Amino acid sequence: MSQQPRITLGGSTIAFEPGETLLDVARRHGVEIPTLCHDPRLKPAGACRTCLVEIEGWPRLAPACATEARAGMVVVSESERIDRHRKSLLALYMADHSADGQRQERGTSNQLLAMARAFDAPSDWGRLPERRAGRSEDRNPYISYDAGTCILCARCTRFCDEIEGVSAIALAARGSETTVSTADGLSLLDTTCEMCGGCVDVCPTGAMAEKMPLAWEAGPERELEKVRTTCAYCGVGCQLDLNVDRAGEGGRGRIVKVTSPEPGTTSNDGNLCVKGRFAYEFVHHQDRLTTPLLRGKDGQLHEASWEDALSAAAEGLMGVRERHGADALGFVSSSRCTGEENYLVQKLARTVFGTNNVHQCAAT
Amino acid sequence: MTNSISEIRDVDFLFVIGSNTSEAHPIIAMEMKRAVAQGATLVVADPRAIWMTQIAEKHLQLKPGTDVWLLNAMAHVIVEEGLTDRAFVEAHTEGFEALRDTLANYRPEEAERVTGVPAEDIRWAARRYASTDKAGIYYTLGITEHSHGTDNVYALANLVLMTGHLGRRSTGLNPLRGQNNVQGANDAGASPVFYPGYQRVDDPEVRAKYEEAWGVELRPEPGSNLNEMMKAVGKDIFGLFVMGEDVLLSEPNVLRLEKALNANDFLVIQDVFLNETSRFADVIFPATVFAEKDGVFTNSERRVQRVRKAVVPPGEARADWQILIDLANACGATWSFDGPGEIYAEMVRDAPKFAGISYERLENEVNHGFTGLQWPCTTPEHPGTEYLHEGGVLRGKGLFTAVDYRPSMELPDEEYGLLLSTGRTLYHYNSATQTRREPGLTAKQPEAFVEIHPRDARKRAIADGDRVEIRTRRGAVQAQAIVSRQVRPGCIWTPLHFSEARANVLTNDAGDAVTGTAEYKVCAAEVSRVEGGGAGEHFPGSFYRESGPAR
Repeated sequence: MSQQPRITLGGSTIAFEPGETLLDVARRHGVEIPTLCHDPRLKPAGACRTCLVEIEGWPRLAPACATEARAGMVVVSESERIDRHRKSLLALYMADHSADGQRQERGTSNQLLAMARAFDAPSDWGRLPERRAGRSEDRNPYISYDAGTCILCARCTRFCDEIEGVSAIALAARGSETTVSTADGLSLLDTTCEMCGGCVDVCPTGAMAEKMPLAWEAGPERELEKVRTTCAYCGVGCQLDLNVDRAGEGGRGRIVKVTSPEPGTTSNDGNLCVKGRFAYEFVHHQDRLTTPLLRGKDGQLHEASWEDALSAAAEGLMGVRERHGADALGFVSSSRCTGEENYLVQKLARTVFGTNNVHQCAAT
Repeated sequence: MTNSISEIRDVDFLFVIGSNTSEAHPIIAMEMKRAVAQGATLVVADPRAIWMTQIAEKHLQLKPGTDVWLLNAMAHVIVEEGLTDRAFVEAHTEGFEALRDTLANYRPEEAERVTGVPAEDIRWAARRYASTDKAGIYYTLGITEHSHGTDNVYALANLVLMTGHLGRRSTGLNPLRGQNNVQGANDAGASPVFYPGYQRVDDPEVRAKYEEAWGVELRPEPGSNLNEMMKAVGKDIFGLFVMGEDVLLSEPNVLRLEKALNANDFLVIQDVFLNETSRFADVIFPATVFAEKDGVFTNSERRVQRVRKAVVPPGEARADWQILIDLANACGATWSFDGPGEIYAEMVRDAPKFAGISYERLENEVNHGFTGLQWPCTTPEHPGTEYLHEGGVLRGKGLFTAVDYRPSMELPDEEYGLLLSTGRTLYHYNSATQTRREPGLTAKQPEAFVEIHPRDARKRAIADGDRVEIRTRRGAVQAQAIVSRQVRPGCIWTPLHFSEARANVLTNDAGDAVTGTAEYKVCAAEVSRVEGGGAGEHFPGSFYRESGPAR
């Protein structure tokens, strides 16, 4: 067996696979290196510079996320030099970031703020003039962009390009006026954007945020509870987290937004589409059926008790069986419902009514 | 799917046929995009210039319904040029000789005449598919929603078997399931032919097992499939129980069904909103949505995953499983389950394919890197199956089934000069009782539309945005015309989602002989401008429009 190549990281010798970056090796080995622009789904960008490390023999600090491990490298991820550099960097980001007075989206943490606090970055470097243009007039219903809180890490634009593949947003303009924009500054609604919301999901500062009003704190701060479940639209079976305000809807609980699982932990890799991420409003819609309904002698549907509705249904279906036989009944089950419910429908048809006339709705 | 979703990114040759992946399965499309970005070759066979064609090496823009010709011609090339995997064919298949005789008639030059796909492209695609080691086929309803849907699937399976593209990671045959739990509903036995776990109702041993388990005598003969049931309403069927489907929007040729429902005695509906079918209901049970109940869904890659109750249902609405227990007991049964976990345990007890899956494992385990368990999963220790047919075909020998082209049941003629296909869009979902209550989706796609090629639009004096009537022998609906090169000349396309313009008023209810799946993808239609209808408001969502930029 050939010897696997190794690096030295903070004094320990660690083996690595060819192609792994220093960040990959460190994380696999449980060494924390902070990042803002890194996302395991995206090509390394080396944009935010918070992951800089010292490599013996290299005159300058190098970004761990974008530097491939090479046999024999001696790497240090914590030093006075790195700390000094990181503090200055975070102070500069904060000077270019209007965190003060920023409305806080519920259940979303500002990774930049948290990092600045954690590393005790100076907060007295003042404010840079705001030169970056936003898109306040964008009439799309889901995604807002606040140029003031953006640090141009380009996670959103890279996600849009590399993963969603529609390149609806991109870095635009130059120098201090660089911003995240669409072609001609159009509303996302009028671009190639498919409103998957990946830009919101990957943003480390909250510059890309949800527009949905319930995602924002209205009253006093209330904790959101994340419930991991399976999307109910297409057959991909994406895992997603329903963010529930327990006190909402008169104590029944209100879904205020949907967030992604950690990339790499579920087969959707943290990705969602427009329906999975945004189309949950129907759950709490006023048109929902809330009581059983029975057709009266007047030909209209009337509210009824469960008891009456159940016995009417039982009598009606049993009556058809008596008059025409069991195969005069048909049971249409649902591919929108759970496996257990489909099991019960076929069991109902077969054992209670005595027919194999049962089929789920998507008979393909 | 024989493969897993996470294997797609490592495929080297993707053959996507009859699947508008980026709209119907957006997250699987992301995996395909990633494969292409890493250098994979994508070939899309589809009558429409769907989004995926933008990143495809080639777009085989076949005429709707000519899939057997295209696929048989590809197989013809593979045989003719000696590109079959002889060792695999020898070891793992049967029936190759008969297939080869049939394929002899399917020359690419003739295929070009029938399908409209250049013979050279057919040859190129066949060679590339056969000679790439990691080659995957991905299909969905564009293959199955035909009167010869089963033939289309056989033709695909023949390609897979003759090239040995099976039983390996990132290599296989992958139907992408259209709905969240199509797979799970089939798995659970919501089928006229199968008990849970694909055990046939006409197999005496299986029936004896279930008679024992359920304590009742069971019917030995298969029941009617959905298509047959809907056609029998008012004739042989007089009582219907419908859970979670709007049959008067989703079933083909709905006006015929609507008439038949007048002769139906009794209809019970279990759903979350009133819908088209509710107009005929005698009893409606208020049910719950996914966020209000516990259970499992099984996705396209056979992965059983938990659904968890997050919020309390409104009013007196009850979980569907609870209603079904209540209804059974109101009919004299004595069912008692303390919850979905117990129901699931009963289901897997007699179904060997899933026997190793339990709520406890779904809650606590990570297998092959992810949560959820992929069947087959036969014992409590089994880690689940990422890809099927490893080390040989599951049934023993893969059976080649020679199929000959049969034209679709209704093709354009002098009276109805266009070929209509229907389908789903990214922004809505099936009967759209949910997505059309979502303001954002409605902003993106507010109303029904029909895509028509500029050449056909000009002939009919139809301009982009005009209000038009779409007619078939079965009925007519109105929609906004999108003059677009996304469709082939002679073809039109409309989504199924809009209750005020039900596409299924138009569709043909001719069903596949084996599955009963209706021919949603092909019927003869005509389109004309509605006088005084005026130009509708433009809305985004379509590309390759006649005028203006792609948007």
